[in-house]
Amino acid sequence: MQSQRKKFVILIMSVVLVVFGWITIGTGAEEVPYLSIAELRAFEGTKEYDRFRLGGLVAPGSIVYSGDRLSVNFVMSQGAQRLPVYFAGLTPDLFKDEAEVIIEGRYAGGVLEADNLMTKCASRYEVELTASEGAAKPTY
Amino acid sequence: MALLGSTALQLALVGCCLTLLLGGWFLFTRDLRFYAGAQRGLLVSASLILMASVVLIHQLMVSNFDLEYVARHTSTATPAMYKFAGLWAGMEGSLLLWLMILGMYVVLVSILHRRVNRSLMPVVNMVLAVVMLFFLIVTIFFENPFTPLPAGTRIQLAGGMGLNPLLQHPAMLIHPPMLYLGYVGFVVPFAFAIAALVTRRLDATWIRTTRRWTLVPWLFLGTGIILGGRWAYVELGWGGYWAWDPVENASFLPWLTGTAYLHSVIIQEKKNMLRLWNIVLIMATFILTIFGTYLTRSGILSSVHAFAATDLGVWFLGFVLFITLACVILVLLRRDVLASQNRLESFTSRESGFLFNNMIFVALALAVLWGTMFPILSEAVRGTKITVGSPYFNRITPPMGLFLLLMLGVGPLLAWRRTSGGTLKRNFSLPVAVAVVTLSGAMLLGIRRIYPLITIGLVAFVFMGIATEVVRGIRARQRSKGESALLAFRNMVDKNRSRYGGYIVHLGMLFMFAGFAGKAFTVEEDLTLAPGETAYLKGYAFTLERHTLEARPNHQALIIDLAVTRGDKLLTVLRPEKRSYTTPQGDQPNTEVALYSRPLEDLYALVGGVDADTGTAVLKIMINPLVQMVWIGGIIMIIGTLVAIWPSRTERQLNERLA
Repeated sequence: MQSQRKKFVILIMSVVLVVFGWITIGTGAEEVPYLSIAELRAFEGTKEYDRFRLGGLVAPGSIVYSGDRLSVNFVMSQGAQRLPVYFAGLTPDLFKDEAEVIIEGRYAGGVLEADNLMTKCASRYEVELTASEGAAKPTY
Repeated sequence: MALLGSTALQLALVGCCLTLLLGGWFLFTRDLRFYAGAQRGLLVSASLILMASVVLIHQLMVSNFDLEYVARHTSTATPAMYKFAGLWAGMEGSLLLWLMILGMYVVLVSILHRRVNRSLMPVVNMVLAVVMLFFLIVTIFFENPFTPLPAGTRIQLAGGMGLNPLLQHPAMLIHPPMLYLGYVGFVVPFAFAIAALVTRRLDATWIRTTRRWTLVPWLFLGTGIILGGRWAYVELGWGGYWAWDPVENASFLPWLTGTAYLHSVIIQEKKNMLRLWNIVLIMATFILTIFGTYLTRSGILSSVHAFAATDLGVWFLGFVLFITLACVILVLLRRDVLASQNRLESFTSRESGFLFNNMIFVALALAVLWGTMFPILSEAVRGTKITVGSPYFNRITPPMGLFLLLMLGVGPLLAWRRTSGGTLKRNFSLPVAVAVVTLSGAMLLGIRRIYPLITIGLVAFVFMGIATEVVRGIRARQRSKGESALLAFRNMVDKNRSRYGGYIVHLGMLFMFAGFAGKAFTVEEDLTLAPGETAYLKGYAFTLERHTLEARPNHQALIIDLAVTRGDKLLTVLRPEKRSYTTPQGDQPNTEVALYSRPLEDLYALVGGVDADTGTAVLKIMINPLVQMVWIGGIIMIIGTLVAIWPSRTERQLNERLA
């Protein structure tokens, strides 16, 4: 009886350890820092992360669609800071000048190549927006 | 009218305080008059809250724009059913909705338990009153839906603001109330758990009493989550139904711990084990519902579900800490009666099956909580805000989910206490054989991805496991009672509704897992098509036929006709739309998905825009395999839960005799 109990304790402990290890590995592999443009520039050249996430506003007049409209270049602003962004894909409904956006992707040669572009709505609906790759839902 | 609403809320606040005073006094004096007073105080408070809710609904329906809340969330042009939905379109209304549902649960508990559980009810009432008091304070003093519109803004908002077009979807009429019915409902089993602790009655009585009180919110929460997924899928146009967004996770967490609880209570009922564990699980479930509200309302996590960030966050956090602390202290004070009297005897027993199922459910909840909280934790520890997002969840959760799927099949095939080698062999050989055959078949069909393959094998295994269980049960009855197969089945289910209802829920889970596996085979393409041009995707031909413009009551629609053929057969014409809603803030674009469901895959299309000169359209086309399985699985789960909730024949007869 006593040894049976010991076996259970060992088994439970090992399950806990495996789960803990699994979560740690998964976290390490998928870390994406959420930065300001200034901080992003400081990371340039280091290999610490390969994906970044930033939030800011679409600089007015900076949106340039490709000929087939399947990709877009624009400049994201945070105060005086500017960051050129490239995004391939259909843009969300609320993507326009001065829209609040969150972008995620790789940073190379001074351009953020986003594979995820989300917009937030600044309207007074108190409801948010659409994402090209994430969900959007209302205030409940 | 609005004055009536806010007065009712204030009186309810007074009622709650009285309930707590009288209830507390009763616990000291044991004078039943005080208990009766507390009971009435709570019922009156609940009724006042229901009255305030009716007032707000009425104000929304008649569009009284003198109320800021009504003006901000509805307009004269809003269809009536969405005016009603305005109740949960904003923070103030959703707090009142929370209170309203709590009020309904309170009334139901009072009626259904007026003659039973005499010893537990005084404390149950007090716990309910504490929760009600908290929400009343927040609603009355910080987010009052009955606040009049400030004088200067009146003219500008004469027609109201209207409801966001994204929300004007039938699922929005049921999804939020369902989630709330689930969230709020867990307060009832939580209150009984606290009462059991306080009164030291920790046998299985409180668990049997709250079985339905747990199943009901669990059903609502699950249904709400699935409806939310359905809405995202048909409305948002990214082709998925779950994005691991913090707000989604916040609803998933209590579902996970609640599901663990539903399983672990079975062991306490049968074997009188896991007393402490069950108490902790239901406490965690309730705390997670409040904590989820905190996460989503405080604005500390960036979510695409941008809620109006308020300073309420700190109040919710305070309430979470208060409840957690109270729970910890109570558990410590009662640790002597929480010890279990029995021990696990063998690995190959039903009990240990439940134990492992529970460990994985809790581990999954922790993993989701960890990923959700990671930005906050990393900022606190490392100074940099680091997000992990859906890649983390998509990496972490599948193995855990598949382990749960495995337990779904293994658990029911194990006997209580210990399973002998012979039984193991007899019970497992057929399901394992079928799983191996199915797996080989899938590999022959060319499926090579590891998770989908495991899923297919496990689904076959679990299905056979459930089927053999049911067939064995029917045969046993046929032999012993000489009943026909159908009658035997009916009687067997009726005799043990929670068990067979549970099996039906498991069956629904199988469908859902099949749907999740299908996600791995999604095909997606962004493309441009000139009029008359055809694109080919996975054996389907998509031809752009034409585009039309249509003016509708509150929006302009650009509609694309996209003919879909397979071989020579025209399957359908997909008509995705790009709409432009006219709102007081200017035009708001909205993409409308076109969806055609075939039995095994969905064709999913949306339009980004059309070049006015050439008629060339920018499109996104997706082929999503097995998504239907998720919805079918959801419906089966609902049916299974209803089977488990429904009273058995003996119970019904007993109730009739009592009545």
